[in-house]
Order: sequence, then C-alpha cells, then structure tokens
Amino acid sequence: MPLTLMDTGVETTVKSIRGKDQTRKFLQNLGFVEGAKVTVVSSLAGNVIVNVKDARVAISEQMASRIMV
Amino acid sequence: MSIRLALAGNPNCGKTTMFNDLTGATQYVGNWPGVTVEKKEGKFKGDKEVLITDLPGIYSLSPYTLEEVVARDYLVNEKPQAIMNLVDASNIERNLYLTTQLLEMGIPVVIALNMMDIVKKRGDVIDVKKLSQELGVPVVETAAIKGEGTRELVEAAKKAAKAGNAPAKRAFEGTIENAVTEIEKLIADVTEPAQRRWFAVKLFERDSKVQARFTLGKDVQDKIEKLITAVEEELDDDAESIITDARYQYIGKLVKDCVKKKKTGLSTSDKIDHIVTNRILALPIFALIMWLVYYVSVSTAGGIFTDWANDGVFGEGWHLFTIGAADYEEATAEYDDQITRRDAWLEAADEAGIDTSALTEQLEAEEADETAIADAAAAIEADPAAASVVGTAEFEDEDSGEVTTEDVNLATFEETMTAAEPDPADFGVWVPGIPVLLEKLFHSMGVNEDGWVYSLVMDGIVAGVGAVLGFVPQMLILFFFLAILEDCGYMARVAFIMDRIFRKFGLSGKSFIPMLIGSGCGVPAVMASRTIEQERDRRMTIMTTCFVPCGAKLPIIAMFAGAFFGGSGTIAFSAYVLGVLSIIISGIMLKKFKIFTGDPAPFVMELPSYHVPTAGNVFRSMWERGSSFIKKAGTVILLSTIFMWFTLGYGWEGGAFCAVSDIDNSIMARIGSVIAPIFTLPGFGTWKSTVAAISGLVAKENVVATFGQLYHFVGEVAEDGSEIWGELAADFTQVGAYAFMAFNLLCAPCFAAMGAIKREMNNGKWTALAIGYMCVYAYVVSTIIYQIGGLITGELTFGVGTVVAIAFIALIIFLLFRKPAKADSTEGLRRMSVDAN
Repeated sequence: MPLTLMDTGVETTVKSIRGKDQTRKFLQNLGFVEGAKVTVVSSLAGNVIVNVKDARVAISEQMASRIMV
Repeated sequence: MSIRLALAGNPNCGKTTMFNDLTGATQYVGNWPGVTVEKKEGKFKGDKEVLITDLPGIYSLSPYTLEEVVARDYLVNEKPQAIMNLVDASNIERNLYLTTQLLEMGIPVVIALNMMDIVKKRGDVIDVKKLSQELGVPVVETAAIKGEGTRELVEAAKKAAKAGNAPAKRAFEGTIENAVTEIEKLIADVTEPAQRRWFAVKLFERDSKVQARFTLGKDVQDKIEKLITAVEEELDDDAESIITDARYQYIGKLVKDCVKKKKTGLSTSDKIDHIVTNRILALPIFALIMWLVYYVSVSTAGGIFTDWANDGVFGEGWHLFTIGAADYEEATAEYDDQITRRDAWLEAADEAGIDTSALTEQLEAEEADETAIADAAAAIEADPAAASVVGTAEFEDEDSGEVTTEDVNLATFEETMTAAEPDPADFGVWVPGIPVLLEKLFHSMGVNEDGWVYSLVMDGIVAGVGAVLGFVPQMLILFFFLAILEDCGYMARVAFIMDRIFRKFGLSGKSFIPMLIGSGCGVPAVMASRTIEQERDRRMTIMTTCFVPCGAKLPIIAMFAGAFFGGSGTIAFSAYVLGVLSIIISGIMLKKFKIFTGDPAPFVMELPSYHVPTAGNVFRSMWERGSSFIKKAGTVILLSTIFMWFTLGYGWEGGAFCAVSDIDNSIMARIGSVIAPIFTLPGFGTWKSTVAAISGLVAKENVVATFGQLYHFVGEVAEDGSEIWGELAADFTQVGAYAFMAFNLLCAPCFAAMGAIKREMNNGKWTALAIGYMCVYAYVVSTIIYQIGGLITGELTFGVGTVVAIAFIALIIFLLFRKPAKADSTEGLRRMSVDAN
C-alpha cells in the first residue's frame, strides 16, 4: 500500500517506488530504496514526515503515494 | 606551496558551522560561475597556505540539482588536492551514500565524523577504526559546534593531499562491477586513470552530462549500451536505480559491521515533530510562534531600538547604556512641573489685572532672549498687586490619572523663573547624535550653514540615509528570531506545514520563508528564495514576495491610516491582507501563463533534527541578512538620496537655474507634472503624489518624508507624518488615499530590492518582467480601488474610469479562471536540469 496510508509511528519496509522520473531518483538518493526501513513520524493533510535511515524527510502526498510499503 | 581542499557533505550535517570554524573571518563569498549558487572560499585559520572551498550541501553527485552539478564539476575539473567529507554520524547511512561517490572521484578523501556527541548520547557505538579500514580512508572525529577535531581534520587532509593516494575501495560487486570495469576499459584512452572509475559509473548510469563530455565512437557507445542493458535485464531495474541500490546495500553491510545501535523508540526530535507538525496543532503553534516573534521585534524590543536609532543616533543623541537617562528624565519632569506652576501663576496674575503679555511674548519667542525675559519678569514682580496673586497649578498623575492641585504664590513664581531646562549632556554618559556631531564639525571647519555643501550633507545624505538606517535595529531583531527558528530546525517544518496551503495557488511551502523575511526587508527575502529548487517556483516567489509589507512600508500605512481613517488598526491590517491576497491572486494568474505552468516541484525536503541553536550561527545569519540591507543603504540609497535632494532642491526660479525656495519650482516638480496624468485613473494624478511615489523607489518610507517637504513642513516630520495629516486630507479623499497607499505598497519595490531581484534572477529580461509585473498589478489594483470605491461612496459618477476599472476586474477574473496553458516540459527546470530517461 502507499506510504500515505501508513499509521504514524509504525516501522515498515519500502517495497518499491513507482514512476520513472527525476523525483524518484531524488528519493532514492535520499535513502528511499527497496528494503529501506521507514517510519511515518507525522502526517499533515496527506503530506508526511518520514524517518528513513535516521533522517527525517518531508514529502508531499503526491510523492508519498508513489512509495509502496 | 598552497594546498586546495574541498569541504563536501550533505545539507544539515553541520558543514556551514565547520566551514566558519575552519576559516573564521577570512571567507570570500561569491557565486559559482553562471549560477546563483553560493560559493564560499576561505583560508584555514591555522595555516594560510591552505585554501578551503565549501561545496554546496548535496545528497549525491547525480545531475538532478544545480548544487550537485556545481559540486561535481568542481571536483572533476578543478581537482582539489583532497576532499574533506563531513559525515553526520547520527545519520550515517544516508551520509555515507555521498561518500561512496566521492571515493570514486580519484581524489584523496578524509572523512570527518561529525555530531559524535549525539551518537554517544543515544547510546550507539561507532567503530571508527574499522570504518576507516573498510573505506580505506582516514576518519577523524569532529564536533563542529564546539570546534573540536577541526585542526586534526585539516592536518589529515594535508597529509592525504601530499601523499596523493586516491582511495581504491569499490562499492559494487558481481555483474555491476564487471560492467563498470568493462566500461573503464572502453574509455581508457579518453580519460585520466584517476577519474576513469567515476566516468565509467556515470556512463553506466546514462548520465547525459557525462555522455556529452566525450565524443565516443558509435561502436564504443553501442558496446557500453549493450553492457548496461544486460545488467538491467538481469536485475530488472534501470541502471541508475541499480547503482543506487548497490551503494545502499554496500553501506548497509558496512554500517552493520561498524555501528552498534542501541534500539530505542522515537527520538526526541521525532516526538517534538509529533506535536509540532500535528494536523490539529500545527497551525495554531505556528501562529503563536509568529505572533511572539513579531510582537517582540516590532512592538516591544524593536520599538525601543528603532526610537534609539531615529532619535538617538540620527537625532539629538543618547545616553550610553542609558546611564543618566533616569536622572535626566527626573530633571525634565521637575522642570515641566516648574513650568506648570509658572504658567498657573501668570494666568492668575493676568486675571488680577497685571499685564503679563510682555513676558509671555518673550517666553513663546523662538529665540529666547534671557535678559528680555528677566526684565519682563522683574517688571511683573515689581507690580504691587503681584504679592497677593495666588495661582492654582494642576498636576495629573500619568499612571492613575489623578489630578492634584497646588497653590502658587509670588515666591514660588520667582523660583520658577530661575529654573533652567536640563541639558541631556549634563547627565551620565551622553553620546551626541550624528547630525549634532556633523553640525559641530561643519561649524569648526567654517562651512556656511546656508551653502549647498551643508544642505547636501545634512538635508540630503544624513536625513535620507538616516531614515533608512533607522530600520536596521528592528530588522536585525526580526532576523535574529528568524535565525533562531532556522537554526533550531523549526523553519524547515514551517515550509512543510505551509506547503499544502501554498500549493493551492501554485507556490511551494518553501516560498513561505522568503515571505516571512520579506516582512522585515525585501532584500534578504529575495535572496532567501535561493532554497527553492525549481526555477519557475523561485521566479514566482521573487515576483510576489515584495507584496508583503516590509518594515519601510509601515510608515506609509501609519500615515494614511492616521490622516484618513482615524488611526484605525483595520487599515493597517487590511494592508497585510492586501499583500497576502496579491500573492495568492498573482500566484494563480501567473501559473496559467506558459512560462510558469506545471505543478510546483514535488515537496521533498530533509528536516534537520531539532537542536539548540548556536550563538555563532544565529548572529552570523542575522548579520548576513542585515548587512545586505546596510550595504545597499551605503550605495544605491546614498546615490538616489543625493539625486532626490538635488532634483527637489534645485530648479528654475525667476528665469534662472538655482536652489529653489519653493519646492513647486524644483526639477522634480516638473518631472512629476509630466508623469502625473498617468495616475489620473487610480485617483492621484497630482504632481505631489507622483513625486512622493517616485521617492518611494529610493526607500519606501521616503514617501512620508517627501510629503513633509512637499507641504513645506519646516523641520523633520514624525515617522507617521502626523504634522501634515491635515494638508494630506485636503488633497486626497478617503478612497483616493487608500488607492495611493495600495499603489505604493504593491508597485516596484525600492532600488535596493530591485537590485536583489536582478542578482537573483540573474537575467535582465526576467528582472524587467518581475518589476514590470509589480507596477502593472499595482496600477490595476489601485485603479479598481479608486474607481469602484469612489462609485460606492458617491465621490465619483459613472464614467470612463468606471468602465476601465470594470475591464480590469474582468481581466483579472479571466486570468484567474482561464484554462492553464499547456505545460512545456523542458521549460522551467533549473535544478532538476537533466532528464535521465
């Protein structure tokens, strides 16, 4: 399911990232790769703050919905 | 021989703090060639032979952001002798991702393991020795905030640079490693051995910038492509993702070996985020923090310092550290009481039939004549009736409002006549203001007070630049608080919180930070737009951020609110609403034009962990923003002040060109009369208001001072121009005044801000477009306000103006609701400049 639907505070694993554009590459560079452990720290009207590899990354709903967990 | 070192690392890893600590005050700040990305260089404090270049904060060396391209071009083309790679130890996996790429550049690398204190606090353990062994490069533990380990880092980097051994560690295995090695062989004759690895990896990723660098034969290209597709088919992914995955897998193993994590739940930072970015509490918390910041920087502390700057430094003078200020105030109060008693007795004496007119005349005279006063007083006291006169002085307690009365007899009156007005210089440590000092200087040099030199310096430069610099304290306090919010990590959350709202009208959450800064000054606000990655988002932010009423526009608002609306706070509030509405309307309208179409770049932003801000960073940031304004005051504003002084003070009188006694005959009056008809539609087509608006281009608060001059007010007007409210009210109607105010708030900003726009746009056409848009928008809005408002209040009747105003409204509605132009996918991508697929 997409990351946007995850409950906050629950650790999960990235299965895949859909799409083939630059933003996907950018997300991968930030550590959103297959198998990476992620936790949604906070969600605000669809936008989420995700903990990935000990860093917090804020991503918009549009992007978060492409990260499948 | 000098050594060139590069400092590289992720954003938020403490790189700026580290660089400041390494180089101290010897920094040179500029731009990387051709782009508006900041380039910082400096000499190492401990050894002037070491030149350190601070690379932009980056996550990788991919070609997607301008910062990344700048950094990798520097590393490939300029070949620094060693790279100091700053790694945030509390976030080691993600930070090592960049490291794996730096290791391939063919340049010696030294790793600085920063923020180890946080790691230790968490209870994690990093085996530094093992990490160094595995990566094949020296690793130095540092704490940039405390300045620890920096000397060791530079020493290690110097040693590495002298040895010149590039790291040989390889992150890839199996088929990927084979393919990359094959590509290395294919490009062996066009690359240097040291850089071959990096180019091979980039060619494997199909990095178009690197592809364009070489003119490879068709057969070589085909061979490379065949190698890539083979791996892609085997691993079922695109080449670039394969490399990214491989790097993270390598790091994963490395971290498993070298880092022992004590598993705990949410970090403190995450817990704070849980509340601060909570869907219910986020906005109220944000509003509360902003209210506090503005309350302190504008109302309380800011007000005190602004008064000090205006009345002290650029006024009479001030008491150093307020020493003697209390005594002086007490003495002044005592003196005022004596005056009250004197006036009360004189009034009683007058009623008793004693002629006091000679004395009152002398007392009210502008130039006090001590002997004449003494003579007149003696004459009154000599009157036989005087002995029996008893006056009643009334004193009102300022705090309680309680009125007390006191009888004043002749003896008391005689005493009051000897009271002298206290001189502030007699109390404590008195520092005279700049105008006072200059006056003394001119006096001692024998400069004629009626001559043009005196007038230029005192009326032109000191008054003009002084008025501008009066805003500096307030601005610095605002920037101080914003720097704290930035340094502790909250500002990044603000961008996140505001993103959902800003996205609705085509801007990104990151546009909000420039707008916050813009409420202080437009110059640093425009500069703050640099953090926005996408070119079109950034341009739109620059074009709209000056709509926010900055500190210098407040006096204009205060003047019109005072003169026309009884000082109503609603008017001041409406000015901010007008600014915000203008941003929203402009955002929606501009977004529909072809050059701006397309969604704002998807919001992806790393949030630094919350931490206590460091004094050094806060003051540095405050000073950098404030000084950008002060520098402008010293150059652009100084020149334009002289221009305004000249064009307002000189002109044709009695058929000859001379210093004019009547401002109506000045050069500026003539210029104003020519331009004025343009402003008939928005309702201020008089040359006076035109001249005032033009003077606003120098600095917005000049509008108030210029009105003061135009209405022949002798002396300096108060900040809100209260002395000339009456005359203003005669020249404008309420609606006309509001339209004029709106125009001044929205039209082209001051020269200093225009300069900043030009620098940040880095393009003449865009600069002209931005400033032109602001002017046209301001004209349209003020016309609508005047024409439609006038029709409603009955000041105007239906006419050509009404038709134009309705046409303007129709135009805005059309631009707001029309279908957006088709997105041109190649336009507007500044930082994400290369399409990989």
